[in-house]
Amino acid sequence: MAAESGDKWILTVTAQTPTNIAVIKYWGKRHEELILPINDSISVTLDPDHLCTTTSVAVSPAFTHDRMWLNGKEVSLSGGRFQNCLRELRSRASDVEDEKKGIKITKKDWEKLHLHVVSFNNFPTAAGLASSAAGLACLVFSLANLMNVKEDHSKLSAIARQGSGSACRSLFGGFAKWIMGKENGSDSIAVQLADEKHWDDLVIIIAVVSSRQKETSSTSGMRDTVETSMLLQHRAKEVVPKRIKQMEEAIEKRDFPSFARLACADSNQFHAVCLDTLPPIFYMNDTSHKIISCVEKWNRHEGTPQVAYTFDAGPNAVLISHNRKTAALLLQRLLFLFPPQPDTDLDSYVIGDKTILKDAGIHEMKDVEALSPPPELKENAPSRNKGDVSYFICTRPGRGPVVLTDESRSLINSETGLPK
Amino acid sequence: MAAESGDKWILTVTAQTPTNIAVIKYWGKRHEELILPINDSISVTLDPDHLCTTTSVAVSPAFTHDRMWLNGKEVSLSGGRFQNCLRELRSRASDVEDEKKGIKITKKDWEKLHLHVVSFNNFPTAAGLASSAAGLACLVFSLANLMNVKEDHSKLSAIARQGSGSACRSLFGGFAKWIMGKEENGSDSIAVQLADEKHWDDLVIIIAVVSSRQKETSSTSGMRDTVETSMLLQHRAKEVVPKRIKQMEEAIEKRDFPSFARLACADSNQFHAVCLDTLPPIFYMNDTSHKIISCVEKWNRHEGTPQVAYTFDAGPNAVLISHNRKTAALLLQRLLFLFPPQPDTDLDSYVIGDKTILKDAGIHEMKDVEALSPPPELKENAPSRNKGDVSYFICTRPGRGPVVLTDESRSLINSETGLPK
Repeated sequence: MAAESGDKWILTVTAQTPTNIAVIKYWGKRHEELILPINDSISVTLDPDHLCTTTSVAVSPAFTHDRMWLNGKEVSLSGGRFQNCLRELRSRASDVEDEKKGIKITKKDWEKLHLHVVSFNNFPTAAGLASSAAGLACLVFSLANLMNVKEDHSKLSAIARQGSGSACRSLFGGFAKWIMGKENGSDSIAVQLADEKHWDDLVIIIAVVSSRQKETSSTSGMRDTVETSMLLQHRAKEVVPKRIKQMEEAIEKRDFPSFARLACADSNQFHAVCLDTLPPIFYMNDTSHKIISCVEKWNRHEGTPQVAYTFDAGPNAVLISHNRKTAALLLQRLLFLFPPQPDTDLDSYVIGDKTILKDAGIHEMKDVEALSPPPELKENAPSRNKGDVSYFICTRPGRGPVVLTDESRSLINSETGLPK
Repeated sequence: MAAESGDKWILTVTAQTPTNIAVIKYWGKRHEELILPINDSISVTLDPDHLCTTTSVAVSPAFTHDRMWLNGKEVSLSGGRFQNCLRELRSRASDVEDEKKGIKITKKDWEKLHLHVVSFNNFPTAAGLASSAAGLACLVFSLANLMNVKEDHSKLSAIARQGSGSACRSLFGGFAKWIMGKEENGSDSIAVQLADEKHWDDLVIIIAVVSSRQKETSSTSGMRDTVETSMLLQHRAKEVVPKRIKQMEEAIEKRDFPSFARLACADSNQFHAVCLDTLPPIFYMNDTSHKIISCVEKWNRHEGTPQVAYTFDAGPNAVLISHNRKTAALLLQRLLFLFPPQPDTDLDSYVIGDKTILKDAGIHEMKDVEALSPPPELKENAPSRNKGDVSYFICTRPGRGPVVLTDESRSLINSETGLPK
């Protein structure tokens, strides 16, 4: 190690990681601690411009403890999952040298050095938008960079998996598959099926549904399902393997009708096994059902799927449109059914890629109020439900994790090693 | 046949039939027209004092067509299901003689004679309370009586089954099982009684009629969609339900409430799960249904042993079965806490059926409803009180099977005109 004045050096890395949405769902573990699933899953990664975690990690001999701050609040790293990730990373670390700063860290040093981690999501944690997947993936990715872990993204995904199952899929952009593996976890990894450019016509609109309910945690929920559902094993052994093959093919061929059919069916079946649990788990609510009804009716009316829907462990709807034109038509339907509360700023009601509003012919609130019922619903014009949706996010499939080299993007003060 | 003046005679029978609620569910047919199910089902019959269909049937040589009136409105009997029932009954009819009135009908006559049917439910059809089960069972039962069909209730259930699957179980009081059968022609797909209404008469049943603006997916088309598109249904029918049927029969026989409750709740949830696993997905339960389930689950967990079983059919209404009257009163307090009525509602119309349950719950007037405290297991996260989510409650119990009403004043048919009174 360097001389005493060197004991104050701080080395930092900042990275950004996307979140992902499963289209063939992970629900149920065969091994709790290693987080090994009972079936494969497939996801689409979302554009980090709109939804991402940014994490800065720092190491310094002056740090006395591993510490972490999440969205401005200090949180504990003592939990088993964090410890597993840190242990895995430290054992794979290699030598790091920063000649300019005169820093030299050997592989062995990593075992004794402490880390500071500062992480922010650019979307509300309470929105149920899979923040732990993005967060854990970012933690692992940024530390792997800091510690010079010389492994590919699939190997890194096996480490992220031990922090949060679905985090492993966030190590890739575009479309990813989490292979369940057969062994003790070394082969339970994520691979990329296609990158974000492969099918970039797709437009993704997320309806963040207002919910007062505290959701059942995924970890305990899926454990209850494994223990009590008499339908889950049949799903995992007979249904999902077929759907995984079909979904891989649909993605490869950009076959939207098959993609949509599979995504909707798997989302519904995931929620079905949640209902088949003791005690039953209800993640979707009446608003979620109205959104599904709207999409189902429209798809039926057009004769071929226009939009795929999928719901995770919460009431939010993730709606995937075939292309921009369809997405604009979808947005008109959504804004008809779910106008904002009075005095809401349009600019904060549809966020992310806001240009979709223009495509939908909507420039100001008056245009929202003036929307007519969609043709397929004219006979039984549904009610307009103000406030059922908190806001919409418009995004697209996006890239995988990246290191941010611009020091101004660092969340850590390079002198103190503490959050800026 | 009799002389011309005799051509104006009218023979009538009036009967009353209960409705029933499945605790192991029927959802899915292996044969559409004969209405043969893919699994057995078990139900509890509800007290006809509170929920029933009353049907008067009449025959007369003066009638020119088969006609039916349901809840005051004339309806068509031309549909396949009605025709199947009428055909089966006519083919099993036997001679009828009313010496007093000088009426004599031979078996052959029944083929040519026309019928009038007048039917009323004493509960709203729109309430989603399985009115077609009670109605079809009553049609079959009353006509079987009129036509002197000499068959037991299980054989009659096979006829009712062809009108509406779950109707077959309404041929019995207490607890009934609809055996799926193996025969292609459905002759062995019949209902049998597992236990009569006195066997477990401590049970109290409270139904929450949940407000719903949605038009429900019809059971017939819904279950067909599930059969065609759900990849979980066959597994349910082949692997899960047979085990549950055995366990439920045992639970009923032994009056084992914890097992009864566990099985009823699990099967209700699994039924709704396969509905969700359908293309397009079917949502019968709504947020209010979920709140009721949460309430019961939390209370059951808090007490360590089930207090209340819940089950939901093809709609948002909750059927809540309590172990005994004391538990039912505690349940009612919880339900009224969570779902108080809209302002200016008469308590007398908010809890109907066996209204004495209110007294057991310490509730005498609306003020008592307003003054209710959150239940102990919910004190930490006291839930909101949701006025208007429930339209009203019905308090009932397991009840008897179909009966003929001999009191002529109960007839719904004018004995002179043969038309509805």
